[in-house]
Amino acid sequence: MQWSNYSNALAGGRYWHYLLNSVIVTSVTMVCVILLASLAAFAITRFRWKYGHIVMLIFLMGLMIPLQSTLLPLMLIFKNIHVLNTRWAMILPYIAFQIPIAVFIMSGFLRTIPHEIEESAIMDGANVFRIFRSIILPVSVPPIMTVCILTFINVWNEYILAATFISKEALKTLPFGVYSFVSQYSVNYGAIGAFLVLGALPVILVYFLLAEKITKGMVAGAVKG
Amino acid sequence: MNVLKVSRWTIAAFVLPCLLLYVGLVFAPIIVSFYNATLNWNGIGVAKHVGLDNFHRMFTNDSVFWPSVRRTFMLAGFSMLVQLPLALFVAILISRFVRRPNFLVSSYFMPVILSVAVIGQLWKTIYNPASQGGMINQILIKLGLGSWTHAWLSEPKVAIYAIIVIGLWQYLGYHILIQFTGIQNIPADIYEAAKIDGAEGFKADRYITLPMIVPIFKISVVLSFIGSLQSFDLIMVTTAGGPAHATDVLASHMYNISILSQKYGYGSAIACFLVVVCLAATVVINLLFNRVEKRYD
Repeated sequence: MQWSNYSNALAGGRYWHYLLNSVIVTSVTMVCVILLASLAAFAITRFRWKYGHIVMLIFLMGLMIPLQSTLLPLMLIFKNIHVLNTRWAMILPYIAFQIPIAVFIMSGFLRTIPHEIEESAIMDGANVFRIFRSIILPVSVPPIMTVCILTFINVWNEYILAATFISKEALKTLPFGVYSFVSQYSVNYGAIGAFLVLGALPVILVYFLLAEKITKGMVAGAVKG
Repeated sequence: MNVLKVSRWTIAAFVLPCLLLYVGLVFAPIIVSFYNATLNWNGIGVAKHVGLDNFHRMFTNDSVFWPSVRRTFMLAGFSMLVQLPLALFVAILISRFVRRPNFLVSSYFMPVILSVAVIGQLWKTIYNPASQGGMINQILIKLGLGSWTHAWLSEPKVAIYAIIVIGLWQYLGYHILIQFTGIQNIPADIYEAAKIDGAEGFKADRYITLPMIVPIFKISVVLSFIGSLQSFDLIMVTTAGGPAHATDVLASHMYNISILSQKYGYGSAIACFLVVVCLAATVVINLLFNRVEKRYD
């Protein structure tokens, strides 16, 4: 029994680097998804306008589109606007691909809130932005949690898009980092094992803390998707 | 009736950021793909219009295409014929015999939340030759079944099955969880009424659980089918389609052609095919299940 493999894996500093990148990418994506999707879901379910249904339909279609079919065109577009090999090359597509399910879950919840809430808020002189910020967001914590969990699991684990759009060592996320580390050290099983365990550790820790919430959120995501 | 009457600008402020980002990064690329599929283009030189030549070549003159389609559907088939019934069986057993099921279900679910990059590397070491510490081969040798050992991921004939096993293992817990939740939502008084009528145990499962689980089972089927059609990150981290295209599926074939070989036009044609198959599969599965559900209504 010895811990040197773990200390070696941690000592190089690469691990912390990958971890930090994953945290940055995942948290920026989460915040953007929740903000954008709840604004859109609010408008679709609560505003009086003609095109709400069509917009919803456009979002729903996104649930069936496979991510990998957009890899190539996105790569060409990103190359042209010099986004390739920056964090935005991961964050932007991640946000875009989480939006459909997030809008779907958020609007499913917002439909259940009675309209009297807004009526009385308008009486009290609140404008739309105020209603959104002070009423809608605070009551929407449960669906926001579900969206958070789905986004976290999907984005934190994503490998193929990161491996296609990123080649700079400094920008690699944890799954990509683990993969390239392990591919380099294909004979040293102790080091590989240690790095694999460390790579899986953050998500396992989160799972231990939130197992019930995560399983509920994933089922909700599956059932509603 | 929605009560909030707001100006156009307010609507735009709420909807457009989300809609534009999503349409720009999901829809537009796919439309671009359908256009690129008519080009002969390597990304650098001048693109040449070739009409539907890429599709023609894909269907008639690509020795990797049809086998990879076949393997894609093989993944889906194994998932639906092995994984889903097994998951349903385990879910029924858990809900009947286990007092505190949450821990067990959470444990089964664990692999789902791990990254494919980690899972792939883990199984690669499990599948290694015995001399390099491969667990399966060592166990076979210990059992005196040395002749059964294989280089699981590098022999063309067994590699795809080795990958299928990983996929079945990883997502079994997901389907157990979904179906277990479905069973839990069946009202208990139905079972009590059935008990009075003399239906208990597996008889009750046959006449109550199975019909009532159909809507949830549909979700499992859709997820596993769409998941199998898109499953290629697992293949990319284990074999990348090799040895000699023996484990290529549609998506990995597309990836190898377009991103690694830089045949952008031809790769786009395969990507378009993949999108169409995904949409068609969702529609067909929904139609089939609508029929089944009607029968049980």
